[in-house]
Amino acid sequence: MEISSKQKEAYFTATQMQLVTTRFFANRAAMIAGSILLFMIVISLFSGFLSPYDPTIAGRDKEYENGSPQIPIFWDHNGFSFRPFLHSKTKYRGADTNFRWVYKVDTENRRYITFFPKGWEYKYFAYNINLPGKNLDFRIPGLTFDRHLFGIDSGGIHLFGTDKAGKDLFSRTLNAIYISLAVGTLGVFISFVLSLIIGGIAGYYGGWIDGLCQMFTDAVRTIPPIPLFMCLAAFAPDTWSSELRFFFIATLLGFIGWPTLARRVRTHLLTERSQEYILAAKLCGASSTHIIIRHLLPSFTSYIIVDLVISFPYMLLSETALSFIGLGLREPVNSLGVLLQSATKADVLLNYQWYFLPVLFLIILILSFVFVGDGLRDAADPHRNK
Amino acid sequence: MVSAMRLTLIETNSYMTNLLEIKNLNVEFDTDEGRILAVNNLFLSLKEGEVLGIVGESGSGKSVTAKSIMQLNPGNTHYKSGGEIIIDDENVLKFDSTKDLKKIRGGKVSMIFQEPMASFAPAIKIGHQMVEQLLLHKSIDKKEAKNISIDMLNRVGISDAEKRFNQYAFELSGGMRQRAMIAMALSTMPKLLLADEPTTALDVTIQAQVLDLIKSIVKEYQMGVIFITHDLGVIAQTADYVAVMYLGCVVESGPVREIIKNPKHPYTIGLLEALPDVNNLDAPLKPVPGNIPSPLERPSGCVFHTRCNLYEEGKCNIEFPELKNYSDDHQVACLKVSTYEQ
Amino acid sequence: MNNNLITVKNVSVEFNYQENVFSKKQKIQAVKNVNLNIKKGSFVGLVGESGSGKTTLGRAILAANHISSGQVIFHDEKNDYDLANISKKDLKDYRKKAQLIFQDPYAALSPRMTVRDIIAEPLEVMKLTSSREETDERVRSIASKCRLNLEHLRRYPHAFSGGQRQRISIARALVSSPQFIVADESVAALDVSIQADILNLLKALQTDLNLTYLFISHDLSVVAHTCDEVAVMYLGRIVEQAPTRELFSNPKHPYTKALLSSIPSIDPDKQNKAIELKGEIPSSMNPPSGCVFHTRCQYVNENCKKTVPQLEKLNGSDHQASCLRINEI
Repeated sequence: MEISSKQKEAYFTATQMQLVTTRFFANRAAMIAGSILLFMIVISLFSGFLSPYDPTIAGRDKEYENGSPQIPIFWDHNGFSFRPFLHSKTKYRGADTNFRWVYKVDTENRRYITFFPKGWEYKYFAYNINLPGKNLDFRIPGLTFDRHLFGIDSGGIHLFGTDKAGKDLFSRTLNAIYISLAVGTLGVFISFVLSLIIGGIAGYYGGWIDGLCQMFTDAVRTIPPIPLFMCLAAFAPDTWSSELRFFFIATLLGFIGWPTLARRVRTHLLTERSQEYILAAKLCGASSTHIIIRHLLPSFTSYIIVDLVISFPYMLLSETALSFIGLGLREPVNSLGVLLQSATKADVLLNYQWYFLPVLFLIILILSFVFVGDGLRDAADPHRNK
Repeated sequence: MVSAMRLTLIETNSYMTNLLEIKNLNVEFDTDEGRILAVNNLFLSLKEGEVLGIVGESGSGKSVTAKSIMQLNPGNTHYKSGGEIIIDDENVLKFDSTKDLKKIRGGKVSMIFQEPMASFAPAIKIGHQMVEQLLLHKSIDKKEAKNISIDMLNRVGISDAEKRFNQYAFELSGGMRQRAMIAMALSTMPKLLLADEPTTALDVTIQAQVLDLIKSIVKEYQMGVIFITHDLGVIAQTADYVAVMYLGCVVESGPVREIIKNPKHPYTIGLLEALPDVNNLDAPLKPVPGNIPSPLERPSGCVFHTRCNLYEEGKCNIEFPELKNYSDDHQVACLKVSTYEQ
Repeated sequence: MNNNLITVKNVSVEFNYQENVFSKKQKIQAVKNVNLNIKKGSFVGLVGESGSGKTTLGRAILAANHISSGQVIFHDEKNDYDLANISKKDLKDYRKKAQLIFQDPYAALSPRMTVRDIIAEPLEVMKLTSSREETDERVRSIASKCRLNLEHLRRYPHAFSGGQRQRISIARALVSSPQFIVADESVAALDVSIQADILNLLKALQTDLNLTYLFISHDLSVVAHTCDEVAVMYLGRIVEQAPTRELFSNPKHPYTKALLSSIPSIDPDKQNKAIELKGEIPSSMNPPSGCVFHTRCQYVNENCKKTVPQLEKLNGSDHQASCLRINEI
């Protein structure tokens, strides 16, 4: 395999970051996972635009409760149509169905899908926080939009079906992805800041300071998370608004998750600190600041990015677990955990299987994070080169 | 050690057949950057009671060759077809099942490594490991295995062998660990001992003792030893024959005295001139010019031509030199050196 | 004493070692009562096996380790300063004048910096240049002296082989125009054919830039070829010191004799019989009484176990050895 001298020169002058990204792009599994992840992040950010209905109770469709998924079709016995359409469904209950409500499909009645219709309003950057007690509540009006990607000319279109109250599951799922990712991000951010401070001090100074920080870190880590979560989550009063609850749960996750990351930060620092090129810098009389900024921080950025991406799935899972048992986010806030909660009844298992669709999204989300994290770690790992 | 070409002649004449014969060994590694040729067209042989030294620098393929004998190379290794490693009339390269490989590994062939800690599991006592190894290869009971092990520890010069038998690897010093590793390798009475840089990590005073030990073992048990090192001084004192390797090829081979006193290949000459000799402090150190090429950029023709002072354009960069006889036992792979056949 | 660059007087370096919070604090005697004169322009070799303390001593002389007792005096043109007791300002000045070349060419260079930045770092940290052009100029000049291709300055360390990296390390050490260089096992990690190249480079630079070297190595043949004088260390003490040829042709201390006899000769006809040293190197936490070598010496007598020998000149020459029975053996 002939490598041109231009390519060789490019390799020789490539910075560490460039090498890492090149290696990452060469890893097929990681790239596929990365694209899926990117896709999910984008759809979650545009969840308002993509959902035809308001995911909260305000958008429920009374005509179509517990309805099965409706997939648009282009063709039926009446002929082909460029515009996708759905058949109407009417509620019916009678002796032959044991007096349960079922939906009958009326194949003569077509309802056409509309694109870019106006619909319910959704907001960006609108915050309305009511802090307990003090008069520090603030509101940011934010931006309001009301266009959506698709809708239907009459009746409802429910791609993933609806739940018991008639809320569109598709909209709820998109919204849930967004909320879960947001909680995860905030939690990771908080734990990152904490672990950077504590792990950083421990790793940089060593000695008894390290010993002390270690003891503290280990003490926090040994506290069993589930009972801790339960206590702290139960402590949150019901009167809190859903946004406040959201921040609270995210902060909680951050405060429980930092020990693992802190330990990693400390290990990286301790290893890097004893590298000979650091000693070489010290022998030139370099100050601690110079060493930290010029040497330690860059060396550890790639590791930290990997660690952050890898700890994301744990945050997600923790939040899902908490919400699932009812201690995390609650209705009307959607998160993947909340959606899963309604999928636990036997009724659902037998009759309304589409409630499980959010599970698929959760699995895909977590797996893609894991694969991307693995890919990043393989790309950044220096041992591969030796 | 004789060349493949003279093999048939010697076989009919000698009483002892070759303990080990490597013919046409080609080893390649599959890496992300492509296929790397680690060993190129290697021919070697060894008789009982002989010490063959393999000398080379980084990338020479000496370790890969030794590991090929025990099939210890990593999973992405390819042994090109046509190559043979024959021990006791069996071609080891054809062995696929672990059962067959078990016969060689630790049984007929033993290996000692540069880093003694690599041989011993840190959390298991040394004695236990030695006994375990013996039980795998010989049908004896535990008590007899223990006796053999302690006896072996004594023979390698470890004082208080009974006490050491019950200790962990980290409780011994570097020199003792290396000796314990030799004891473990020898306890199964292998016919062939592969020593991969066994003394490189040791202090020079300990090295001298370990080398003496290896020499006395060879004499006593008539074992064949392949000694891999980068240190020509060690080879000069320990080996009977030497093969000089560069970038996967054997460039020169023959009896130790002959090669050191009368080297013919430019690389061997260069190595000897670059070596500081305590007994000759006036001689200047002449480095071999250039750098060892990366295995991904193997030079065409003769692999050494990029650094050779005898380089001839149009010849050395096109034709691949075969290992040919310069004199009776002395073989050189160089297009510019006149040999028997030319 | 006048033409000494560095005078080491009775230096000891101890480390505290505590296995865990609950065990007793122990002291490791890495270096004990060492006296060494490093003359200006000389190439001094420091040899020893593991546990000899040579690296610790080298780093103490660079003020990279603390000095527990004794003095290390650096004789600058204007004044002398004692590294054991040095002010911050003087230390900064010393750092410009004394540098270290490491053993491992792979760990000594930051993989995230270009070669130009690596070599320029000392200039930038010590503020020795006033502009980027000046820095570049100095970097280029020292890089060409170290026979580095100037086009390679833009590259990162991963592009280079061991020998080339070591040259980058040397360039970095020399860019601040120091007077004194400690080379700590600087060729140990290199292939033999490259080793010779680096050693020749070091010698050439010595004459070119008026350098004084302290060359630390465990490889006696390398030391024999490059150094003017050699000091042999055992368990933190200097046991013998002499000009190179004198030491190698006429070793006096039993340890030196054993060491030299252990070097495998390249001449297969010379079957050297190594003097065997019984036992193992003692632990630095619990050194033997009297002469520390007595546990392994073939000439040991009762006096050796009680009295600590001093480094003494033999017959008024430059050859020094610390052995109580030196005149009898």
